[in-house]
Amino acid sequence: MSLRIFLSLFFLSNVFASYKYETVLEDLDDAWSFVFLDEETILYTELPGNLKIANLIDKTITDISNPPVVHYASQGGLSEVILDPKFELNRKIYLSYSAKDKNNKSTLFLSSAELIDNSLKNIKVIFEANAPRRTSVHLGAKIAFMKDGTLLLNSGDGFDHREKAQYLDNHFGKIIRINSDGSIPTDNPFINVEGALPEIYSYGHRNMQGLVITSSGDVYEHEHGPKGGDEMNLIEPSLNYGWPAITYGIDYSGAVISPFTEKEGMEQPLLHWTPSIAPSDMVYYEQDSYPELTNTFLVTALVSKDVKKVRFDNNTNYQESLFSELNQRLRNIEVSPGGIIYLLTDGPGGKLIKVLPKER
Amino acid sequence: MKLTKNIFAVFAASLFTVLLITPITSISNLLWLSSVDMPVTLWSSFEVILFDFQRLGMPLFVVFTIAFILAFSVAGLISKYTNYGGKYLYALAGAVAIGFALILMVELLFQTQLLGGNRSLTGKILHWVAGFCGGYFFYNLFSVDRTYTFIVRFFGIFYAYLLLGFVLNWIFTPAIAAAEFGFILDQLSDDAQNALLRDFTSFFVATFLFSILGAITLNPTWFFSAGVIYYGAAIFNLTAIYVHGTPYNKIYIGEIILGTLPTLLALTVLYKNRTQKKHE
Repeated sequence: MSLRIFLSLFFLSNVFASYKYETVLEDLDDAWSFVFLDEETILYTELPGNLKIANLIDKTITDISNPPVVHYASQGGLSEVILDPKFELNRKIYLSYSAKDKNNKSTLFLSSAELIDNSLKNIKVIFEANAPRRTSVHLGAKIAFMKDGTLLLNSGDGFDHREKAQYLDNHFGKIIRINSDGSIPTDNPFINVEGALPEIYSYGHRNMQGLVITSSGDVYEHEHGPKGGDEMNLIEPSLNYGWPAITYGIDYSGAVISPFTEKEGMEQPLLHWTPSIAPSDMVYYEQDSYPELTNTFLVTALVSKDVKKVRFDNNTNYQESLFSELNQRLRNIEVSPGGIIYLLTDGPGGKLIKVLPKER
Repeated sequence: MKLTKNIFAVFAASLFTVLLITPITSISNLLWLSSVDMPVTLWSSFEVILFDFQRLGMPLFVVFTIAFILAFSVAGLISKYTNYGGKYLYALAGAVAIGFALILMVELLFQTQLLGGNRSLTGKILHWVAGFCGGYFFYNLFSVDRTYTFIVRFFGIFYAYLLLGFVLNWIFTPAIAAAEFGFILDQLSDDAQNALLRDFTSFFVATFLFSILGAITLNPTWFFSAGVIYYGAAIFNLTAIYVHGTPYNKIYIGEIILGTLPTLLALTVLYKNRTQKKHE
């Protein structure tokens, strides 16, 4: 009996023990995303256009020369960085960013480059979104590799162009699928549809800032709603996710965007956050350094200043707020090769924070 | 008195302009929704227009009031020191005020077009026309002698405008309205859901109608009725906290404010009625 009580108390103490944190880097200049080169080294972007390598042990930071020229304004700049699945062999990385197109309008670009001797070589624009906008907002800009080696890229609705998310002749509010050399996969859903852009994988999205592909190959995305209506979706090719024809949010101005929340032929979100939490990034945690988090989605949030642990079970979602004691607008989350979670805070003076596993 | 009258003429012109402008955004959204085969009906259109008038209208009312104060002051100076003047000068000032306000909202504040109806050229022209009408309305208000009834009526209507948001929420989106008061509608029993919806809806609809009727008839009883209901809510809120031991809930402050405004309007009408009778 006493052993049972002891075990119960031991279990409960672990469940309710709070996490400990270690600030690994400070004074980052609007850092937006990062990726692990190894357990001790990250490659990270800063919106003004800087690409840097940081050693997390000795805290040294090295500038990478020759980054792409970006249009740094409002929400735009150098955004996502990811590694090629064969990075160890080919040293290739992929960068998304906003830059001016030939008509001097801002739009979303995706480039590949080789990272050699702290410099980018052989930079090649592999995708330029047909989504020109006056102001660099709602770009999306998250990138992920699918299991088949193709690339997915979030291309946001540009705010002023939200209605275009429902039309297939542009890249506003779309998830894009291309090969890593920029060519178009022959099995893309709209490749043979007249009037549709062949890179489109799914449509009817708003400002997507989370994109995850699980080890089983499922594609999950989340996107900012307007005032309310932040969504998390399971992405399937060719499907229409409804924005702005159906939404659970209203406009920032208070106006009704649509009185409808569902329609046949438009997908319902797996969950929606109303009021908004402003989801900024997401990982699917599949390691075991934090057993309580294994096989859950971890969604960073700017407004609620926490990480939402999300789990789905029989079409029901279960959520828990984590790391709220940091009280920081969280911009990005990554998991190191060793399974350790790192959080990036938002804005100038940002920090990289290591979440220490609970002691057992 | 003239200054007071001018200020309330600006407020009234702003509210009138909001009434004209908010449907531009509503209708442009509804037209687009129809174009993509969304099942827009008269009822859903009515819902959207009313919600926009209240929710979108509130921030616009503040912006337009500031813009109108500046524009009509300039128009007043032009009218005083030049030969130009009259209703078309103020109408033009109204159009310019709205035009500039909408441009500056984009350029100085948001860098994006928050007002959906102002994205197209047609929408922009309609906004300027609404500003023109607002200026014309202002001239008509301030150029004619008015009594205190104008101010009482304005505040009566404005009070109803404040309550309109509650009314619409309880009628059209009761789950959201209930959530704002701490109820999760789905988790209540059927009887409790029914009781909640009917009582809260009738509470807000009644006070909304009382204020409209008060503004129309200038009968102080209507304003007092609204005041009594909100004061009652505040008193029983405090009773719940301090007698029945419920957690502290600062909503009573809002209830006191909502009770005070119609009560002041009723007292003003009573005072003026008595003063007039003495003079007779």
